[in-house]
Amino acid sequence: MTVIRIGAAPEPFQGKGLYFDGDSALPVQAELAMDERRRALMILSDGREPVVWPLDDIRALADQADPEVMTLRQTNDPIARLVLSTEEERRIMQARASNLRKAPPVERKGRLVAWSLGAIASVAIMVTVLIPLLADGLAEYLPPAGERALGDATLGQIRTFLDETRMNPLPFCEAEEGSAALAQMGQTLFPDGIGEQELRVYVLEHEMVNAFALPGGIIVLFDGLIQEAETPDEVASVYAHEVGHVVARDPTRIALRSAGSIGVLGLLFGDFAGGALILFLTERIIQADYTQEAEAAADAYAHAAMADAGYDPAAMASFFERLRDEYGDTPGWIQQFMSHPNFADRIAAARAATPDDVSDAPILSDADWAALRSICEETGETSG
Amino acid sequence: MFWLAFKTGLLTILTLGFYRFWMKTRLRRWYWSATRPAGIPLEYTGQPLEKLLGFLIVVVFLAFYLGLANLILTFVSLAVFAEYTFAYVISAIVIAPLWFFAQYRSRRYVLARTRWRSIRFGLEPGAWGYARRALLGWIGVVLSLGMSHPALRFQLEKYRNDRTFYGNHRLQQGGHKTMLYPAFVHLALGVFFTVGSFLAAMEEGQEGIAMMMVVSVPWALFGLVHYIVEGRRIMASHLTTGAMTLVPKPRVLKVLHIYVVGNLFRFSAALLILMITGFLFLAAAAAILGGFEFLFQMDPDEMAEDVFLTMPAWITGALGLASYFLLFLVWSALTHAFITFPIWRHYAETLQIDGLAELGEISQRGRDEFAEAEGFAEALDVGAAI
Repeated sequence: MTVIRIGAAPEPFQGKGLYFDGDSALPVQAELAMDERRRALMILSDGREPVVWPLDDIRALADQADPEVMTLRQTNDPIARLVLSTEEERRIMQARASNLRKAPPVERKGRLVAWSLGAIASVAIMVTVLIPLLADGLAEYLPPAGERALGDATLGQIRTFLDETRMNPLPFCEAEEGSAALAQMGQTLFPDGIGEQELRVYVLEHEMVNAFALPGGIIVLFDGLIQEAETPDEVASVYAHEVGHVVARDPTRIALRSAGSIGVLGLLFGDFAGGALILFLTERIIQADYTQEAEAAADAYAHAAMADAGYDPAAMASFFERLRDEYGDTPGWIQQFMSHPNFADRIAAARAATPDDVSDAPILSDADWAALRSICEETGETSG
Repeated sequence: MFWLAFKTGLLTILTLGFYRFWMKTRLRRWYWSATRPAGIPLEYTGQPLEKLLGFLIVVVFLAFYLGLANLILTFVSLAVFAEYTFAYVISAIVIAPLWFFAQYRSRRYVLARTRWRSIRFGLEPGAWGYARRALLGWIGVVLSLGMSHPALRFQLEKYRNDRTFYGNHRLQQGGHKTMLYPAFVHLALGVFFTVGSFLAAMEEGQEGIAMMMVVSVPWALFGLVHYIVEGRRIMASHLTTGAMTLVPKPRVLKVLHIYVVGNLFRFSAALLILMITGFLFLAAAAAILGGFEFLFQMDPDEMAEDVFLTMPAWITGALGLASYFLLFLVWSALTHAFITFPIWRHYAETLQIDGLAELGEISQRGRDEFAEAEGFAEALDVGAAI
C-alpha cells in the first residue's frame, strides 16, 4: 500500500482492534491504519484481504454500558464489527469519523405510514361504527337482571368519579321526607309503572345542574338541579325525560359501547393510561351524548307523561329558558349542558305539547317541595 | 443505568407512550452490551421503528378481535350471570392463548436481534405449538393445585431452547421433567403451611395457629426466589450446543439479598415522593389561605380532606398528576438500577462457558425479517423485565 502525504500530514495512525467478520464466531486480531487518500480505515490481518471502511460510513453502537469499549460498524455491512478497547484508538475515531453518532436512516417509510393509517382506520371503524352497531343490537336482548348489574357497576364508578377526592363514592341524599316526596312525584307521573323495568331514583349530593339515566332503570338527579329548579314541575319534566331514556334503553347502549371501546383503546395505550381511560369513558356516560333522535324521543315521552298526569309539559321549556338566560355565556360543563344543538327546538316542542286542560296546582304540595329541596340534609352510602 | 431508565421513561410519558419503543430498544442495547460471555459483549440490533411498525400491524387486527370480544363477553356475562365482573374472568381465558403466542413470538424477535461475536441467535417458528402446550399445561397446573408446575416449566423451556440457534448450531436442552422438583420443595412447603394455617385459623377460630404464618410466609417467599434461581441454574446447566456447555453458579441468597435491598430502595423513594407531595399540597393551601393558621381550625379527623377541598381543582389535579408520574418514573428507574440489573449481572458473572473451542465451527445464520416484531407482546402487554 502506498500512501502519498501532502502538506502537514496527520500523525500516522497505528492501532489494534478485534475484528468480527460476521461469518465466523472467531475474532481476528487486526492492525488498524488510515488510508488518507481514500479517507478510510484499513483493517489488516495476516492471510486476509484488507478490509476498507470509509471514515464517513463508520458508526459507533449507541447506549453501551461500558464507556471503555467502543464497537464500530459500517453502514454498508450490517454484520461485521470492530471492537476498540484502548483510549487512544477511541480518541482517534472520535476525531476522524465524523458521522460516528449519526442515527440510521428511516427505512420503509411508506410501510410505516401505510400501517399507521391502517391502525388508525381500524380503531376508528371499530369505535365509531362496528361497536355502536353491535351494542345497539345487543342492548335489545339484554335481560333485566343483566341490565341491573350493568347499571349498578356503572353507578358505582360514577359516584367515585364525581367525588372530589376520587376516593370514596359520592353519598346518596336520603332525607326521609324528601325521599317520600320524590317517590310521590314518580307515583303521580307513572301510576302504572314504566313497563318491565323497575325504576330506581337516586339523588346525589353534587352541585352540577344535571341528571342522567343508567341501565336497569336507574335515574340519578343531582342536588344542583333540584336547587336550580323553581317549581316541582320543572324537576318532574327532567325526571320524565330521563325515564324516556330508560324506556328506550339508551343508557344500556352507551354502556355496552363503552365496554367495547375500553377494549380497543386499552390496546392502544397499554397499561400506561388504563386508569385515565376509564375515567374518560365514565365522563362520557355522564355527559351521555345520545343522538338527537334519542333526545327528541325522550322529550316526547316526557311531554306525554306530564300531560297524561295532568301537568303542563311547558315546565321543561321554562326551566331550560331560565338556565339559558342565567348561564348563557358560562364556559364549562353548564355550557355543554346548555348548548345542545337543538336546544331552541326542544323549548318550542315543549311549549307546543301543552294540552288544553292542565292542573293549576304544582305536582307536589309546598310542603313536599320544600322536603324535596332539603333531601340532601341526610346522606347515606347505600340505598336511595 | 438509573439515568438512562429515567430519561427514556420521562420521554415515554411526555410522548403519551410513543417513545416506549425507543425506550425498550435503548435499555436493551445497554443491558446486552453490559453482558460479556467469555469477554465479548452481546449486541442488541433491534430497531425502534420496526417495533412501532409491528405494533401498528397488530393493532389493525387486534382492534377488531379485542373490541368484539370485550363487547360480546360483557354482554354474555351480564345476560347469563347478571354479573359484571365475570366478564374479566372469561376475557382472561380468551386472551390466554394469544398471550402465550405473543410470548414465544417476542422471544423469537429478541433472539433474532441478538448477536454475540457478530453471530446471530435465532428461534425457529413454533408459536402456536408453544401456545397450545402452555395452555394445556396451565390447565393442568390449576387442576393439580400447582404441583405440576415444575414439569410444565421444564417442558416449555425445553420446547423453546430446543428451537434456539446460535449461528448454525442448534441448542439442546437436556435433563428430565422431574429435574426441577428439588428446587420446588421450599416454595411448596411454604405455601402449604401458609394456606393450612390460614384455613385452620378461619375454620376453628384459633388465632394462635395464624401465628405460624410469621414463619411460613417468609419461607414461601424464600421458596419462590429459590425456585426461580435454582430452576434457572438447573435448566442452564443442561443446555448445550454440542461441545459448548454452561456452568451456571448463581446463589439464591445473593439474589434474595438484591430483592430485599432493591425493594427497600424502591419503597423508601416512593414514600419520600408521597411525603414531598403532601408537603407541597400543604404549602399550596397555605399560599392560598395566607398562612398555616388554618390548620389549627380544622378537625384533625377530616383535615386531609379539608386541605384538599380548599384548593382549586387545577392545583390539586396538576400536583396529583405530577407526583403520580414522578412516582411511576422513579419506581421503574430504581427497579432497573437496583433489582433488574443487579440480578442480571449476578447471573452473568456466575456463568461459565466451557468448550469454547467449538466457536471455530460456528458460522452465520440468515436474517429473520419478522415484520410484526414484538407487536403482539406490546399490544397485550406481555410482561418482560425489559
